Amino acid sequence: MNIGESITQAFDSVRMNKLRTFLTLLSISIGVFAIIGAGSLVDSINSSVFSEMEALGRNSFFIYRVPVLEMGHSWRKYAKRKPITYTVLKELKKELTLVDFVTAHGFSMANTIEYGENETDPDVNLMGVDENFFAAQNVGITKGRPFTAEDIDFNRNFAVIGNDIVVKLFPNIDPIGKRIKIKNHSYTVIGVLETKGAVLGEPQDNRVIIPLTEFLRYYASMWEYDLFITIKAVDYESLDDAIDEAIGTMRSVRNLKPWQENDFEVETNESLTEQFASFTGFLSYFGAFSGLIALIAAGVGIMNIMLVSVKERTREIGIRKAVGAKRRWILYQFIIEAITLCQIGGFIGIVMGLVASAFFGSLMNINLILPYSWVIFSIVICTLLGIIFGAYPAWKAAKLDPIDALRYE
Amino acid sequence: MDLNEENKNGKPIIDIEHIAKIYQMGSEFVHAIRDITLKIYKNDYLAIMGPSGSGKSTLMNIIGCLDTPTKGKYLFKDMDVSEMTDNDLASIRNKEIGFVFQTFNLLARSSSLKNVELPLIYAGVGKSERDDRAMKAMENVGLADRVNHKPNELSGGQRQRVAIARALVTEPSIILADEPTGNLDSKTGLEIMNLFNELWKAGNTIIVVTHEEEVARFAKRIIKLRDGLIENDSFNHHQRITNDTSTTSSVTNQ
Repeated sequence: MNIGESITQAFDSVRMNKLRTFLTLLSISIGVFAIIGAGSLVDSINSSVFSEMEALGRNSFFIYRVPVLEMGHSWRKYAKRKPITYTVLKELKKELTLVDFVTAHGFSMANTIEYGENETDPDVNLMGVDENFFAAQNVGITKGRPFTAEDIDFNRNFAVIGNDIVVKLFPNIDPIGKRIKIKNHSYTVIGVLETKGAVLGEPQDNRVIIPLTEFLRYYASMWEYDLFITIKAVDYESLDDAIDEAIGTMRSVRNLKPWQENDFEVETNESLTEQFASFTGFLSYFGAFSGLIALIAAGVGIMNIMLVSVKERTREIGIRKAVGAKRRWILYQFIIEAITLCQIGGFIGIVMGLVASAFFGSLMNINLILPYSWVIFSIVICTLLGIIFGAYPAWKAAKLDPIDALRYE
Repeated sequence: MDLNEENKNGKPIIDIEHIAKIYQMGSEFVHAIRDITLKIYKNDYLAIMGPSGSGKSTLMNIIGCLDTPTKGKYLFKDMDVSEMTDNDLASIRNKEIGFVFQTFNLLARSSSLKNVELPLIYAGVGKSERDDRAMKAMENVGLADRVNHKPNELSGGQRQRVAIARALVTEPSIILADEPTGNLDSKTGLEIMNLFNELWKAGNTIIVVTHEEEVARFAKRIIKLRDGLIENDSFNHHQRITNDTSTTSSVTNQ
């Protein structure tokens, strides 16, 4: 059958009934936009997070006071947990045998850094780390050096700074050896971090890192005593044993009775990735689901347009039947027309969705992944939409009596 | 004189025997056609006349395979049309019948050539052959220079020529014209009737349904209907055959 003709006809009806068709196509576009936008953004976030996780290695596991991704209602339970302290860290370092290293970092938000007359906005993340942090978290140094064990042990007033700080405070100066001030304490800059952009919208370059001991002494408020511990097992095979060992040590350090459950969380890279994927998966399915609802509404619109179109073109259908069009040809013609209409709307939605996710992706500093599977999903859905909602009008057209249709004014 | 008896050279294309068409309107039955027997042979030029309500539209629809009779038998080239399904009727219409309507019935948004190609599309003819044959049909009606014009860019007479080209393009067994001059002025109407005349002389079988004596005069045989019956079926001794070719067409038997 002449598919080209039906497609041309679909474009004709777009052209001739601009507003009516535009409104219907818009609702399809919005539906597809939701699917593609959510899908593309989620895919991009996933890929950026997963590559970050992968960089940490399969052998690593983490101990936190509260879960990283908590969507439930049990925050009260977690809020009562004791912080993970420096003592815990030291104990772990001492007790664990199956590990390459144990490292920890503390975290304080919203600090102002001064250098001479200049100061930054009060939005700098301050981190306290030990000497293993840089290797463990895959944090590179472009200039100067990272901390050594002595720097930590002797509590030296050293700082390693991110690129945003360099740009703000040391526009044309080599920062190495300069002294910066945080809350009236002076630190000598000994290194500059590799530029990393942002992970999940969290800028990685706007931070200052100081020795953990120094951090705990001056900056950690009650909850900021809370350390994030990263442990690397000697190899992947020993991961489970290393985790058991770590849990045992944690329980004894925190004086847990055998019947009490852990008051800390242990996560591996894999479990975090899984949790994250299930969270983003939920987001993308939510996007797809809302998109589908919009598309079903749009389908009703398509059916309406097609019914009007069949009505308006009754005579044309009569002519086609008089010169020998069988029922199924008329049926195909109108279904193909409906599919084409849906695809036009879908195409606009795909483009809009990609543009929007590219925009938000650039805000969040992640590389856009073209969500092939979501694009294909959208095309398939639009085709189905055309078939399902085009079928009844097309069937009405196909079963018209040629004599009545020819007489129709 | 009964032409059905007289004309015995070969088998008829159309062989209608005692057909009736009864519609139900509410609780009443309307006998559009009561009892009609009719044979139409190759190269006939038949005019079907009658006042409105005489059943001529119904007869035309049945002859044209747009409708089937309630009673009786209709053989089209020995095929029993009276029992055919919609799809079979569509394929008979496509292959065997060329329609020409009073209101032209062209697709408004398509060029003349596309309009002429339409029956060939449904016949499954490939693109290049379709173009060739449609082009030839357009030449035959003298509109070779109007192939890319849309119907609204053509005069009434030209539109009817496009419609005739569409009717000719599948080389049908009969051309069925329903009031072909009804929407045209008398001069243009005459041109169209001259075109039919040429097509007839070139060997085509033509059936014209009309209520105008002027139009019927061109036919070789005139059938008059009244109240669903044939009132008169006779040879037209005064057939108007013009050599006044105001058309520039060269009609060949296809």
